[in-house]
Amino acid sequence: MKIERFDLIIVGAGPSGLSAAIEAAKRGMKVVVFDENARPGGQLFKQIHKFFGSKEHKAKIRGFHIGEQLLQEARDAGVKVELNATVVGLYQDREVVVRMGEEVHHFKGDAVIIATGASENMVLFDGWNLPGVMGAGAAQTLMNLYGVKPGEKVLMLGSGNVGLVVSFQLLQAGCDVVALVDAAPKIGGYGVHAAKVARTGVPFYLSHTIKKVEGTDHVTGVTIAQVDNHFQFIEGTEKHFDVDTVCVAVGLSPMSQLLKMAGCEMEDNPKRGGQVPIIDDYGKTSVPGIFSAGDVSGIEEASSAMIEGRMAGVAAAEYLGFMTADEKKTELDKLSTSLESLRQGMFAPKNRGKNITETEEGIPISTNLLSKGFVADDEIERYPGVIHKAGIHPVIECTQNIPCNPCQDACNQGCISIGDNITALPISVKDSKCINCGMCVASCPGQAIFLVDEDTGDGKASITLPYEFLPLPEVGAKGKALSRKGEPVCDAEVVKVRSSKAFDNTSLLTISVPKEYAMKARFFKAE
Amino acid sequence: MSELSNRSKDIGEFVPMPDDDMIVCRCEEVTKGEIRKAVHEGLWTIAEIRRYLRCGMGLCQGQTCAKLVKGIVARELKCSPALLEPATSRAPMRPTEMHVFADETEETDL
Repeated sequence: MKIERFDLIIVGAGPSGLSAAIEAAKRGMKVVVFDENARPGGQLFKQIHKFFGSKEHKAKIRGFHIGEQLLQEARDAGVKVELNATVVGLYQDREVVVRMGEEVHHFKGDAVIIATGASENMVLFDGWNLPGVMGAGAAQTLMNLYGVKPGEKVLMLGSGNVGLVVSFQLLQAGCDVVALVDAAPKIGGYGVHAAKVARTGVPFYLSHTIKKVEGTDHVTGVTIAQVDNHFQFIEGTEKHFDVDTVCVAVGLSPMSQLLKMAGCEMEDNPKRGGQVPIIDDYGKTSVPGIFSAGDVSGIEEASSAMIEGRMAGVAAAEYLGFMTADEKKTELDKLSTSLESLRQGMFAPKNRGKNITETEEGIPISTNLLSKGFVADDEIERYPGVIHKAGIHPVIECTQNIPCNPCQDACNQGCISIGDNITALPISVKDSKCINCGMCVASCPGQAIFLVDEDTGDGKASITLPYEFLPLPEVGAKGKALSRKGEPVCDAEVVKVRSSKAFDNTSLLTISVPKEYAMKARFFKAE
Repeated sequence: MSELSNRSKDIGEFVPMPDDDMIVCRCEEVTKGEIRKAVHEGLWTIAEIRRYLRCGMGLCQGQTCAKLVKGIVARELKCSPALLEPATSRAPMRPTEMHVFADETEETDL
């Protein structure tokens, strides 16, 4: 038996593993990354939506493009990625056993970084194991990696960001999403993600969960019912939907078994998603030479995972003498600042489980957004992105403090102001001149910006909205304008359609509606 | 003494529930009722339950059901799932045929 030695062995070629590999290889380390999948990138390549954050976090870039950039960076740094290589064991002295094909191979890493990510949780209900019930991530894989429609009529359980984002992508794939259901009384994910699903007409059922999935050899229907404060079903509240697919998005659990096997000190930490290694701020575990990064040490976003990966790569490089302690400190301080700025706002890990009723600015949170998925008409006016003035101007329906600021960078006319604190609510600046370029509309990862002209002079108003569906309506197309709730409110006509490379596949539809609907119409449905 | 090593704790009698025949571990076809009964028969740890019923020992190695089983056991024991020690992690971490696991290659050159 031969053992091949590497300076650093990384398990998992997702966002954190690749980022770690890049940092280590840049310092001259001999690095190999093993991944059990046939393709690198972890979950990045199925993320077709634009990411949040600021420029340094690659905000407004679609996830799969970030994946391509990361892979290129890894290639340039000379990182070796071994695919279809399943790490089956992590033994004493960092001996790594890998299944490749029909053989097992032994490797020794002077340092090891575990970046194995997480797996989807399931929930028990009558019929949960019928074909057609699947994880939301699995549905996303089918659609976005394999081009297969998971089903025709889908019910989504879970209103976290995964449930919301995948619901929108199911709609984009042409599926009918009949309902979005969550046992919790409040929507768990970003309000803007919920709002873009709600305005297409998908109803939200909070404080509801699945009672029964029907079917004999596959899903044919689902019954949900309301639950009380103790998550017990309330008699007589049942609602039935004919569906062929039920997607479950009820959280992720870290795949931390290798760390446990290696003897790393572990804890069961519900805030981090389950069994996680006890690590320092930069991924160092209790076992010398073993580090961890990404979802395996606590469930977060891919943007955070990439920074955590870089930190672990730097920590491993210093551990083996490929950089000095001073160099390490400079690098880690930089990365910490970047990570800290992502871990701010209402959805920050430190705020999980807290009942937040006001924004940082002291504005009451929209309760309708939390329970129904859209901001009510009588709530929307109180946010600083929503203003009234003559002529065309941005109306920014961004009502929660999330770390995101591409809109501010997108406008070179100074119409949008966030400031240095990237979680602040964007302000639509009254004293500014919008040139109708549309960059803000296309750059908003939450699709929450609209260009509104409340009075175009002919008794009409024009609304420019982000549109990511096919077929793209043509100029002159007639249909209905839908409200934030997704209900038809008035007739609408498409007067302009813009697509541009700079918009990165978000098209801009301009619709004309009677002017009294300027602040109500937020989506277009062709007849 | 930790809450869970106190085996004198009274967890009450096994009470049948309407969903006891629901399969929890798909790979090994173990039902909710079997898991709940096992707790009342004195198997209070995930390791014991796994050895006794084989749930979480199949193809997916508990990837899907581990958390569900933990929840069911914790409810019977009237404690938080976080208090339950998870199953032992040991190689092979992923299902591996014995002929592959034993086939240690002579040459490895990446």
